[in-house]
Amino acid sequence: MNKSALKNDRGRLSIGSVGKKLFSDYSYMVSFILILAIAVSVNPNFFKWRNVTNIFVQSAPIGVIAMGMTMVICAGLIDISVGAQVAIISGFGIDLLNYTHNIWLMLLFCLAFGAFIGTFNGLLIAKGRMPAMIATLAVQTSCRAIVNHFGQGGPFTVANGISTEPYYEAYRLVAGGSVDVFGLKFPYPMLMFIVVALLFGLIMQRTRLGKHIYALGSNEVSARLSGVNVVRTKIAVFSITGLMCGFASWIYASRLMAVAAASAGNLFEMDAIAAVAIGGTAMSGGRGKIIGTFLGVIMFKIINNILVAAQVPTFLNGAISGAIIILAVLLQNVRGDKK
Amino acid sequence: MLTQMKGIVMDFGPVRAVDHVHFTVQPGEIVGLLGENGAGKSTLMNVLAGTFPPTEGEILLDGQKVRMTSALQAMKLGIRFIHQELNLCNDLNVFENLFLAQETLGRGGLLNKKEMAQRTREVFDRMHVNIDPWTTVKTLQPAEKQLVEIARSLLFKCDLIIMDEPTSALSNREIDNLFVIMRQLKSEGVSFIYISHKMPEIFQICETYYVLRDGRLIGNGRIADTNEGEITEMMIGRALAEDDFTHKEYYGTDEIALEADHLSGDSFEDVSFRLHKGEILAFTGLQSSGRDMLADALFGVIPHKGRLVIKGRQVDRANIRGYMHRGVAMVPRSRKERGIHNHLSITDNVSMGFINTHLKTLLINPRLERSRYQRVKDALSLKADNPKNPITSLSGGNQQKVILGRWLETNADVLIFDNPTQGIDVGTKFEIYHLILRLAMEGKAILVFSAEFPEIYKVADECVVMYKGRINAVLPRRQLTEKNIMYYSTGSNLEGAKHEQISLEK
Repeated sequence: MNKSALKNDRGRLSIGSVGKKLFSDYSYMVSFILILAIAVSVNPNFFKWRNVTNIFVQSAPIGVIAMGMTMVICAGLIDISVGAQVAIISGFGIDLLNYTHNIWLMLLFCLAFGAFIGTFNGLLIAKGRMPAMIATLAVQTSCRAIVNHFGQGGPFTVANGISTEPYYEAYRLVAGGSVDVFGLKFPYPMLMFIVVALLFGLIMQRTRLGKHIYALGSNEVSARLSGVNVVRTKIAVFSITGLMCGFASWIYASRLMAVAAASAGNLFEMDAIAAVAIGGTAMSGGRGKIIGTFLGVIMFKIINNILVAAQVPTFLNGAISGAIIILAVLLQNVRGDKK
Repeated sequence: MLTQMKGIVMDFGPVRAVDHVHFTVQPGEIVGLLGENGAGKSTLMNVLAGTFPPTEGEILLDGQKVRMTSALQAMKLGIRFIHQELNLCNDLNVFENLFLAQETLGRGGLLNKKEMAQRTREVFDRMHVNIDPWTTVKTLQPAEKQLVEIARSLLFKCDLIIMDEPTSALSNREIDNLFVIMRQLKSEGVSFIYISHKMPEIFQICETYYVLRDGRLIGNGRIADTNEGEITEMMIGRALAEDDFTHKEYYGTDEIALEADHLSGDSFEDVSFRLHKGEILAFTGLQSSGRDMLADALFGVIPHKGRLVIKGRQVDRANIRGYMHRGVAMVPRSRKERGIHNHLSITDNVSMGFINTHLKTLLINPRLERSRYQRVKDALSLKADNPKNPITSLSGGNQQKVILGRWLETNADVLIFDNPTQGIDVGTKFEIYHLILRLAMEGKAILVFSAEFPEIYKVADECVVMYKGRINAVLPRRQLTEKNIMYYSTGSNLEGAKHEQISLEK
């Protein structure tokens, strides 16, 4: 083999791509630092522990869903049923809690129900060969309709609002409680979010499932020919996302203690997808990192925080979040895909 | 049109891809451009086709100095670049593809389909090709798609056509047809630059040649004054010992690794053969001979009927993972679409086979991953800087090595190589042939699916020639000649005979 020929070849091909890769892989860091800087300048109390934990607590439900969403999008798919899933799971979950008075049974139910809906999504897409967007759209409208029907327009309320019931307080503490470590209060939802994120990071980087998801998202044919069980992987990402919707519902309902059928979890799918996009995951699949999504979720809440502190009219918040999504994703695209 | 490139230099950052190259194409001349992958051929042609301006040097057309600023401008000047990958929209019909982005409009800004179809027909007539302009491109054969690409160049002013590996998806008969068309156009004064790795084609169609290596012009001259050995030597910088392969030893044992008994499936029928450990069996045939589908069926990609026994156990269900656990591996054809995991790192690409068959632990151990990468890198002399870079940062030959490594690491004993050297340079090709021979010596059972005779000749103990989905002949090594293979793969022996009456000669 002629050595210099290959050296030349390799050198030419890799120099550009390494630089590109560095920038595209860590662009979410750039956005994150930028937003932190803005946050501190607008709100001098930004780094107060209470404020920091608040951001985590508020992001937790969307956060755990966005973890699942990262898997789905890395596999080159999409799930827009997550908001409606949260509505139906938390509504029925509260009913179950009111009946059994046991918050752990409720957790089990939420997880099982979520996994069930997710698996159903996965079966439609992997076995039924439906486009993910359409299958999850159908599941979204169905879930929302069913929970609306059973809620009869009214909210599902924990213990019917009677706060003296012992399980009322027990359940409230799921989202409202915290543990003290070295004098610092760590709210439960914050810990749950962080643990889930670590777990997902591990799954994506260090397990067979993670590698399969990336392979599936980058090229389904190659993945199949390498022995990846494409059907099972697709079902798995949706089941796991459903499971996370269940977990998110448990936290979410505890924060609100009453969920309205029609508005619960509204637009969660958009927030989750936006967080994944800001976090640098390619919408076409194959590329993305959990840490990116994690920061994406936090960024989203910080932006909210900034808008409140800067006294931006509430109705305009959506427009500004929209602008920030566009900016963040544009920043990733600058990486030089222009051929 | 007389095309001259003088002292072309092209730098990408610190890397000099093309270094002071002079290049001339006479009107109505077919020039062969040769070189290994990464030698600078594509870069030079991209400069000529206006993709990027050269760092130094000038381009003269008919003696007039031109500044090529964009691909569009190059087209206006009559230069067309037909890329290796076909750029056709499968769901549009033929004339829509031809006129894409240059549609003829009629009254009120609506498309004038009749006129476009008419002009398409005129171009096809000029090429003596019979394709209906209204056919959907999806339904065309690969060869016809190639012709549509050429027709697109001829639609408007065109004096020079650059063809990058135009025949990689074509059968020999289709290639001959393409050459007839090229000669036809040449007689009308159209010049060609023909890039190919396939030496026989260069000698068949080209009049002059240019050889690039490391971005420099190594040699040029008239094809009639040179031979394949000389050109190969120029390309890789030293003589390759073809002799290594002429006295091939037979490593086969009595143990049967794979047995197919009246195997049928999508586009192949009644295929029976036995593969022993240590044996290398080649399959060849034209594009439509069912060769591809047979390879897929033997790896469980598509279902089959009939009896297939792998290492003594019959397999019935098409299930890739099941076959992998049984010890079968396949290096697939069409590396880009079917081989590489394009967004994944080199390491992950190497490991994908292993973690699908042998991973016993819940977590993947990065240390073992690194050592596996290192092992593959050493064994196949892979040229890569950083194992964490995406596989697409490697050249085609090295990508193919990564895929070979992926399957070697599964420790399979039945290896299927489906068109293993597609679009890679001569040096790497030879490395792969040596690897295949070494694997046979170690007792692996090997199937090679290929359409290239030199490749088959270098490795095969025996060659099965397919025609219209059936086995037409099984040629032992002493009968392996290009003529024999052509004779059986075109079905010449069956002229007038009924297909049912094929008798296999062993």
